[in-house]
Amino acid sequence: MESFFDRYRNLVVLLAILMAQIAGLAVQVRRGSAGQNTLDATDPRGVRLIRLWGNAIVSPPERLIHWTKIGVEAMWTNYIDLGHVREQNEDLKKTVERLRLEQAALLEDARQGQRLQALLGFQEKYIYTTVAAQAYGSSGSDHSGVFYIDKGAHEGLKPDMAVITADGIVGKVRDVFSHPDTAQVLAVNDPTSGAGVILETTRIRGILKGDALGRLEVVGILADERIKPGERVLTAGGDLIFPRGLPVGVVEKVMRDPDRDSFIVILVKPAAHLERLDEVLVITSTEPRFSPEQEQDIATSESQKSAVPTAIKDQVKASEIMAEKLPGLIDPNLPPDQQPLHDSSNPNTVPRPPQPIRPDEFSPGAAESPAPETGAESTPKLQTKRPAIPHVAEGNGGASQPAESPKPQTTTPRNP
Amino acid sequence: MSLLSADSRRDMEIRRYPLLVYTLVPLASLVLQAWLPRVVGRYDWFDLPLVVTVYFALGRRSPIQGTLMGAVMGLFEDALSHHAIGVNGVAKTVVGFLAASVGIRIDVENHAVRLLLNFALSLLSSVIYYFTYRGLLGLTLEWSWLTELMRAVGNSLIAVALFPVLDRLQSRE
Repeated sequence: MESFFDRYRNLVVLLAILMAQIAGLAVQVRRGSAGQNTLDATDPRGVRLIRLWGNAIVSPPERLIHWTKIGVEAMWTNYIDLGHVREQNEDLKKTVERLRLEQAALLEDARQGQRLQALLGFQEKYIYTTVAAQAYGSSGSDHSGVFYIDKGAHEGLKPDMAVITADGIVGKVRDVFSHPDTAQVLAVNDPTSGAGVILETTRIRGILKGDALGRLEVVGILADERIKPGERVLTAGGDLIFPRGLPVGVVEKVMRDPDRDSFIVILVKPAAHLERLDEVLVITSTEPRFSPEQEQDIATSESQKSAVPTAIKDQVKASEIMAEKLPGLIDPNLPPDQQPLHDSSNPNTVPRPPQPIRPDEFSPGAAESPAPETGAESTPKLQTKRPAIPHVAEGNGGASQPAESPKPQTTTPRNP
Repeated sequence: MSLLSADSRRDMEIRRYPLLVYTLVPLASLVLQAWLPRVVGRYDWFDLPLVVTVYFALGRRSPIQGTLMGAVMGLFEDALSHHAIGVNGVAKTVVGFLAASVGIRIDVENHAVRLLLNFALSLLSSVIYYFTYRGLLGLTLEWSWLTELMRAVGNSLIAVALFPVLDRLQSRE
C-alpha cells in the first residue's frame, strides 16, 4: 500500500518549499507605525548571508564578462580606430591648458565661498573625495533598480554614500560587500528610492523617485503653473545623502497626481545616462581636500590676487610719508593763534563759501545771535520767510518750480 | 499537440544532461540576466532564469526537480535585488512545478507549444510575484502589466531560440 508521502510526494515537496520561503519572507517584513508593512532597512543575518552567496557566485563571472567587453572596446578604440587622433590630441592639450587656468580661478572662488559660508555659520557639504568605480551588473529585474559596482568595503565605501557621474546623480550605496569587493547601488529611478530635489528657477522643492517603468519623477508638489518643461532639477541637499546643487535632470512633462488632488507629478529626463552607466563616482567624504597640484594652483592664484592690494597699501603708505614731510595747515605743536591756517602770508588761503544771492536760514551767518531786544520789538510778530520748497519738487528737478515772491506766513514747527 | 499518458511519456523521454550543464547553464542564465540589462537598457523584457527553469522542468519531467530548480533560481534572483528574498523564489517554484507537471502530459517538442507554454508560465510567474508582494506581504510595489506582457513575449521568443540549443547538450546514452 502506497504511503501518503509516496502518493503525494510532489505536492508535499512543493508545499514544504513554498512554506519555507513564505516563512522566510515573513521574517523580513515589519509593520510600520503608520500601519503599513515595510521591509527591514537592514537585512536580517540570514537574508544577508543569502545575498552574500548570490553576490559571491554571480559577481565574478559577471565582472569577467564586463572586463572582457571593456577590453575589446579598449582594443578597438586604442589600437584600431585611431583616425584623427593626432589632431584631437593637439586640441585636447590646448583645452587642458585653458581648463587648468579656469580651474584655478574656480577653485579659488569655491574656497572663498566656503570661507564666507563658514563665517555665516552654514554647515554646507562639498564634494571633494570620491572613489571612481565601474558599474558592471544589475539585479536582473526591472522591479529592482539596483546595480553593482566593482568597489566595496576595502575602498572605504559605506551604505548611504551618494553615487554620481559627471552628468548628474545616479543613486546611493545600499549595501557593501568585501568578498568580492563590490557594492550594491540603489538607482534614483527605483520606486523605493528617494532624494530631495529643487527646481532651479522656481525654487520649488519635491521628492525624486522612480516609477514602475523606471522613469524619474518628482512628487509631493502642489500644482504650479510656473513649472515648465525644460527647467533644470537639482539636488536640494536636505536628504543628507546628496550634496546640494548636483544636477538631476530637466523637467520633461508635468502631470496631475492621480492619487492626490491639487498635486502634480513631474517627469524628469535624467541628466545621467542611468541605463548605460559605466564609470561612476562614489562620494566618500564631503570634507574639502585638494590635490597638491590644485593646492599649488590656489597658492599661485592667491599670490596673484594679493599682489594688487599690496601695491595699493604701498601707495597709501608712501602718501602718508609724503604728507608727514610736507607743511600742513594745522601744526599740533603751535598754539591756535599761530597756526599756519591764520597766517596771512600763506598764499593758499582757505576758500570761503560764496555769498548767497537770496540768504535764508541756512545761509552762512544766518544763525548768528539776534540783536538785543527793545520794548517795541519784544512783542511777538510774524516773520517773513521764503516758503519751503516741497520735497516733491526735488524730484522734478527743482528748477521747474516757479519763482515766487516772498509772502508773509506763520512759522510752523518743522518736521523733524 | 498530442496527449499521452503520464507514465508512457515519462518512460519514453526523460532527458539527462551532464552535471556541468546542470551547473553552468543556470549560472550563465543568472549572470546574463544581471549583465544584459546594462547593455540593452530599458528593453530588458526577458527573464532567462525563468526560461532555463521551464526548460529543465520540461526536459526532466520531474515536478520535484522542477520545484527545486525554480526555488534555487528564484532565490538567487532575489539575492541580487534589494527586495525581500523569496518573492521570486515562490513564483519560480510554482512555475517549475507546473512546467514539469505539464511536461509529463504534453508533447513539448513543438515550437508553438513551447512558445505558448513559456508565455503562459511567464505571465503566471508575474501574477504570483505580484500577489506575493502586494497581497501576502502587503508591501507597496510599482507595477506595469504592459512590461510583464512584454516580458512574457520576450521569454517565449527566447525559449523558441534557446531550447533547440540546449537540446544539443543532452547526454547521449
